[in-house]
Amino acid sequence: MAEVILKPIGNFDLTVEAEAITPDNFAGKTAVEIGEILIWQAPAQAKLSEFFSVEGNGGSSAEDTTITIDGDVPRVKRIGQEMTAGKIIIKGSTGMHVGNTMAGGEIIVEGNAESWPGMEMKGGLLHIKGDTLDHVGCAYRGSWHGMTGGRIVIDGNAKNQVGGGISGGEIIIGGNVDNFCGIRMNGGLIVVKGNAVRTTAAEMTGGVMVVGGRIEKFSPGFEMEAVECDLKFDDIECAGEFMKFTGDYAIPQKGKGTLYVSYENNECL
Amino acid sequence: MVYKNIICPVCGGSCDDVQVELKDGTIDVQNACKMGNAKFQEVVSSHRLLKPTIRENGKVKDVSWDEALEMSADILANSKRPLFFLGSETSCEAQEVGLHIAEYLGGVADSNATICHGPTVMGIQEAGCVGSTAGQAKNRADMIIYWGVNALESMPRHMSKYGVFPRGYWAKKGRFDRTMVTVDPRKTPTAVASDLHLQLKPNTDYELLSALFTILNGKEPHPSVEEITGIPIPVMKQTIEMMKESNYVGIFVGLGVSSSYGKHRNIEIALNLVKEMNNYTKCNLGALRGHCNVAGFNQLASYLYGYPFGIDFGKGYPRYNPGETTCVDVLREKDVDAAFVMSADLVNHIPADAAKYLADIPMICLDIAPCPSTTASDVVLPGVIDAMECDGTFYRLDNVPVHFEPFTDSPFPETKSNEDTLKQLFAKVKAKKEA
Amino acid sequence: MEALLNTGSTIDEGRLAKGGNKYSEDYKTECAVCWVCAEDFAALGCPEKVKVTSRDGVHSVAVSTKVTESVKSGHVFIPRSIWANVVVEPSTFSTGSPLYKGSPVSVEPTDDVVMDAEEIVLKLYMGEE
Repeated sequence: MAEVILKPIGNFDLTVEAEAITPDNFAGKTAVEIGEILIWQAPAQAKLSEFFSVEGNGGSSAEDTTITIDGDVPRVKRIGQEMTAGKIIIKGSTGMHVGNTMAGGEIIVEGNAESWPGMEMKGGLLHIKGDTLDHVGCAYRGSWHGMTGGRIVIDGNAKNQVGGGISGGEIIIGGNVDNFCGIRMNGGLIVVKGNAVRTTAAEMTGGVMVVGGRIEKFSPGFEMEAVECDLKFDDIECAGEFMKFTGDYAIPQKGKGTLYVSYENNECL
Repeated sequence: MVYKNIICPVCGGSCDDVQVELKDGTIDVQNACKMGNAKFQEVVSSHRLLKPTIRENGKVKDVSWDEALEMSADILANSKRPLFFLGSETSCEAQEVGLHIAEYLGGVADSNATICHGPTVMGIQEAGCVGSTAGQAKNRADMIIYWGVNALESMPRHMSKYGVFPRGYWAKKGRFDRTMVTVDPRKTPTAVASDLHLQLKPNTDYELLSALFTILNGKEPHPSVEEITGIPIPVMKQTIEMMKESNYVGIFVGLGVSSSYGKHRNIEIALNLVKEMNNYTKCNLGALRGHCNVAGFNQLASYLYGYPFGIDFGKGYPRYNPGETTCVDVLREKDVDAAFVMSADLVNHIPADAAKYLADIPMICLDIAPCPSTTASDVVLPGVIDAMECDGTFYRLDNVPVHFEPFTDSPFPETKSNEDTLKQLFAKVKAKKEA
Repeated sequence: MEALLNTGSTIDEGRLAKGGNKYSEDYKTECAVCWVCAEDFAALGCPEKVKVTSRDGVHSVAVSTKVTESVKSGHVFIPRSIWANVVVEPSTFSTGSPLYKGSPVSVEPTDDVVMDAEEIVLKLYMGEE
C-alpha cells in the first residue's frame, strides 16, 4: 500500500478547507503532483505544498492509498470529505467536517476533532480517539437524514446533536454527550457508554439508542416497556440491565424508536 | 412643524404612529415609548458623533470624511477575510450595499439575528412556521402566550398595540377578551401582568414544550418532567386545555426560548406543537424581534443570497453554517482578520473572548453615539439616523416591510444616509482592489 | 455560589442604550447590577458588590447587588450589557448564538471597583495581557 505523508508547515492563521485531501484525489499522483493540488484558505486558493510538505506518491487506486497527516491540524477542515476508499491517519487533532459525507474507507484521528465529523456519512469507518464537539454523523441544516451507513467511533466525549436524523449505520461514543443526542433519529444505532445531559433521543421515530451512564434530564415523551439484560447488536455488546423505553411520543407517531437506559445508573426513572 | 406617522427606528415593533415636533435645538415626541423617545432625542443630543475619527498609535483624532473612508477602504482591501456585521438599526438599503461589499471581498456577512433570534430562524428552517401578521393576532386572539419574553420592557408597546390591550374585531373588549399566559424563569413585569405565569427552571423550555406536546398527543409525559421544569403536570394539562378551548392562540417567543440551551430545537418543537394545535384551534407563533430592522436583514439576505444570516462568501458563492460562519464563532476562532461593524454595538453584546479579538483586529465602526464598539475601533464613521434623517425600508417583527420617510436631513454634507456612506466606501474598496 | 445567569432587557437599559448613553453613570447604575433573591443574598453575606465569574474561570466582572423577588434561588440576573456579556458563555452549540440565558457562573462577594463600560473596553478588551 502506498503511503503519502503530509506534514503541516504552513501559516494556518485563517482556517484552511482541504476537501481535496482524500485517497481518491491522491491516487495515481506523484508527491509533486499532490503538492500542486489547490486547497482553500478564506477567499484564496493555494497549493497544498504551501501548507504541507508532501512525501511519497499516491497508490494506483484509492484503496491502495494511505494518507498520514503527521501533526496537529486543528485549523484544517473537511479532510476526507466524500472519500470512498483508502485510509487517512491524522496523528493529532483536526478541524471541522472531517469525513463529511464519506462513503467508504477509513479515517483515524488520534487527537480531537471539531464539529460535524462524519456529517451524512454513507459508509466506511471514522474513528476519533479523542473528543469531538457537535453534530457527529448529523444531517445538514434542514435535511431530514443524517448518516445512513458506516460506523463512527468516538473514544472520548461528544457535545450536542450527536447523530441528528441518523437513518442507518452506528455511532459509538465511549465518553459522555451533552444535549440532543439522537435528535430526530429514525434508524440506525447510537451507543453512549457514558452520561448524557438532556433531551436524549428527542423526537426519535425509529432506530435504537443505548445510554450506559446517567441521564441528567430525561426526555418527557418516552414510555417504559420492559427491562432487558445484556444487549447485543451484531458485534456491539452492552452489558448490564437496561430499561427499555419507546417514543418519542412528543412527536405524533407510532413510537417505533427504542431507547435503552442503564437501570443501575438511573434508578430514579 | 409637527410631523405625523413617523416610524420609530428602535425595536422590532416599528411603531408607525409617532409624532414629532422639531424646535430650536429640542425635539418633542408623542406616542413613542421610553426607548423610542430616547432615540428620537439623538437628533439633537450633545453626544452625537459628528466627526469621523481614526486611531493612530493609540490616540484618537478627528479626520475628514475622505480620510476616514480611505483608511476604511485600506483596512478592508488589505484584509484576507473581513467580517461584515451589518446591524439592524439601519435600512435594508444600507445592509444590501454591505452584503455586496462582503461578497466582493469574499468575507463573512452577518447581522444582529445571529446573537438574537438566529436560532428562531433556524428553527423555522427545520419546521416551517404557522405565522401571521401582528394585526391577525390583534383582531382575533383570545389567548396570548409570551414565552421567554418580557414584552413590557423589551418591546414596551407590544401589549398595548398588537398583543393584549387593543380592542380587536373579534376581541372587542380588548384585555377582558383575552387570557394572557407568560412562561419565564423570572417573575418579570410581564409575568406579573399575566393571568397565568409558568415559572419554569432555566434551560428547560424544551422539556416543557415536549411534555405539552406529549399531552396534546394524548399521552402521559414522564413524571420526571415535573422535577426538571418545576411545573406540575396538571398545570401543563390545564394549559393545553386552555389552548384547545381558545378561538385563536397567539404565541410570542423571545430570547428566553431561542437563546437558552436548546436554541433552535426549542423553536422547532414549539413550531411543531403549533402546527398540531391547528387541528383544534387557530394557533400561530411569532418572534418579538429586538431591533427595528433585524427581520429585514434575514429577508434581504435570504432573497439575495439564499440564507438568512451568517453568510460566508469565501468560495465566491454564499455558504451558511451557524457555528462556523457566524459572527461570534469566527471571532472566537480568530477566523477573520478585520471587521466592519455598522449600526450595532457589537463589542457591548458579544462574550468577552469574541469581543477581545474584535478589539484586537482592525475594526471600522459606523454608529451615531459613543459606545464600546466605537472605543475599540480604528476608524469611526458617524451614522445617519434612519427614519429621522433619511428614507428607506425596515421589516417589522412580523416580516411586514415598512417604508419610512424622514422629518429632517442628514447633518453631514458628505453623506445623505448610511447607504450613501457604504456606496462611497464600496467605490473606494473597488478602486484599491482593481488598481 | 454557583448560579445560572440570565440576561435580558430592562426598560431603563433600553432607554439609556437607545439614547446613546452607554458611557453615563446612569447606565452603570442600571446595568452593572446582579439581581439575586433574598435567600442567596443572605447566604453570600449581604455583600454590596459581587464578582461574577464565567464557568471557565477566565473572565470575571464586579457588579453591585440588588435583592429581588423576581428570581429564584440559584438564579441571578444581570441586565443585557457589557458587564453581563463579559461572563456569558461564548460557546454557541453550533448555532451562532451564545448562551445569553442560563450561563453557568459563580458569584462571590468582592471589594473590587465596579468599572464603567468604557473602562471594561479599555482594560479588559484592549489592554495588554
